[in-house]
Amino acid sequence: MISPVKIWRRQKKIRKILGKKGKVLTWTKIFTPGADFKKYAPYPVVLVELENKDKIYGQLVSYEEKDLKMGKEVVSVLRKVRSSSEEGVIAYGIKFKPL
Amino acid sequence: MNSVIGYYTTQFGELWDKSLFDLVEEAIAGVLKQNKLANEQIDAVFFGNMLAGVLENNLHSTSKIAEILKVNIPIFRAEAACASGGAAFNLAKTYLEANSNKNVLVVGAEKMTDYSPEEAITGLSAASSGEEQEAGLTFPGLYGMMANYYLEKYHYTEENLAYVSVKNHFHGSLNNKAHFRRKITVKDVLSSPYVAFPLKVLDSSPISDGASAVIITNNRDLIKKQKNSVSVLASEVITDTISLKSRKQIDEILATKIATDVAFKKAKISRRDIKVAEVHDCFSIAEILAMEDLGFWEKGTGGNKITELSTMFGNGGSLIVNTSGGLKAAGHPVGATGIKQIGEIFLQLTNQAEKRQVKNAKYGLAHNVGGSGGTAVVTILGI
Repeated sequence: MISPVKIWRRQKKIRKILGKKGKVLTWTKIFTPGADFKKYAPYPVVLVELENKDKIYGQLVSYEEKDLKMGKEVVSVLRKVRSSSEEGVIAYGIKFKPL
Repeated sequence: MNSVIGYYTTQFGELWDKSLFDLVEEAIAGVLKQNKLANEQIDAVFFGNMLAGVLENNLHSTSKIAEILKVNIPIFRAEAACASGGAAFNLAKTYLEANSNKNVLVVGAEKMTDYSPEEAITGLSAASSGEEQEAGLTFPGLYGMMANYYLEKYHYTEENLAYVSVKNHFHGSLNNKAHFRRKITVKDVLSSPYVAFPLKVLDSSPISDGASAVIITNNRDLIKKQKNSVSVLASEVITDTISLKSRKQIDEILATKIATDVAFKKAKISRRDIKVAEVHDCFSIAEILAMEDLGFWEKGTGGNKITELSTMFGNGGSLIVNTSGGLKAAGHPVGATGIKQIGEIFLQLTNQAEKRQVKNAKYGLAHNVGGSGGTAVVTILGI
């Protein structure tokens, strides 16, 4: 189970990086994930350099295959990240959408 | 001077009838028997292991090893993800520098196949940053990002990567302790399913069980009595950020570069003197980047160089790489890997490598990486 406190601590930082634009530095597509992410596979993960030069990882959502390329412009959005059990807390976090 | 005087490794593979400590016990008994040493002649033990605490709620392994050996001596565990074995060896060497006339046992082991791939992958992910874990990144995913970046930057394709696995599976076919002993072709690699784009199953080291042990000593009388001994010329551990994104370059492992430069300076030899090397090929891309970061190949040329297969046994090259089969074919029981690499160099330098024996090798290098490059251990041995 994911600790609710850990999620609460992390979520305070998320609002600061919402709606930020950036470019894909590199990417991969995960076919064999860890236990919590199994039901979402395969899914792409991008490493994005924001306009302020900060670097952030996130999954790419609402995408087409042609969007999976370096230099692609994306924007950060709030999405469900995982829920490790039926009763557990649902973790939300940053993902990216192609622009 | 510290010398490695013995090496034993268990079979690597899916060893369902053996527990973690069955493997540790076999490796310890094997190496002690080889050197005709009694348990009481061991002054300290360093144990490399990553996952027992995470996967099987099994910690305080140092005391379990005392129970196996039936001794009361200092025993320590080293953890640095996939570099746990290399880190344990480095600590053993450092221990000897502070204590004269001592014999130290270094054992590395991992038990991984009791668990589903998802459980093992989650356990291994403990060695990546929290942010990487939350993004659903796995180690294949992190190396996939490095590979994708490298291939685009230098205009290579997945086929360039495939040659690493072809070479290392050929070497695995010559090592009866290897997890995989089947030769494969470039076509086999390219037609295997994706694990994390652009890396496929046959670009990736397997989940394996196994244990390896070496004896390292500074006891001169004991060294003189040995038929086989090699000197530890250098062993360097360097760390870097845990997150791939925080590093200066995505397609290099800076910790490897720093550790290598220091190691060669201390060993007082040049890269050209190295005839055999075991490098950390957890994924095909990792061997190419390692060859560049170790300074054997120029940056950006590795994708092309590997297709020449000059580092494959039997091709007459001046440096043969991963004669054990590497992590790819020999298998990757995480904590054991760093010890197996040093053991393989020991076998090569003492003419015990049988079918894969490289001729006239006087110096060898072992390169062990933790995580996506957060730790690197470079060890140079010589006769």
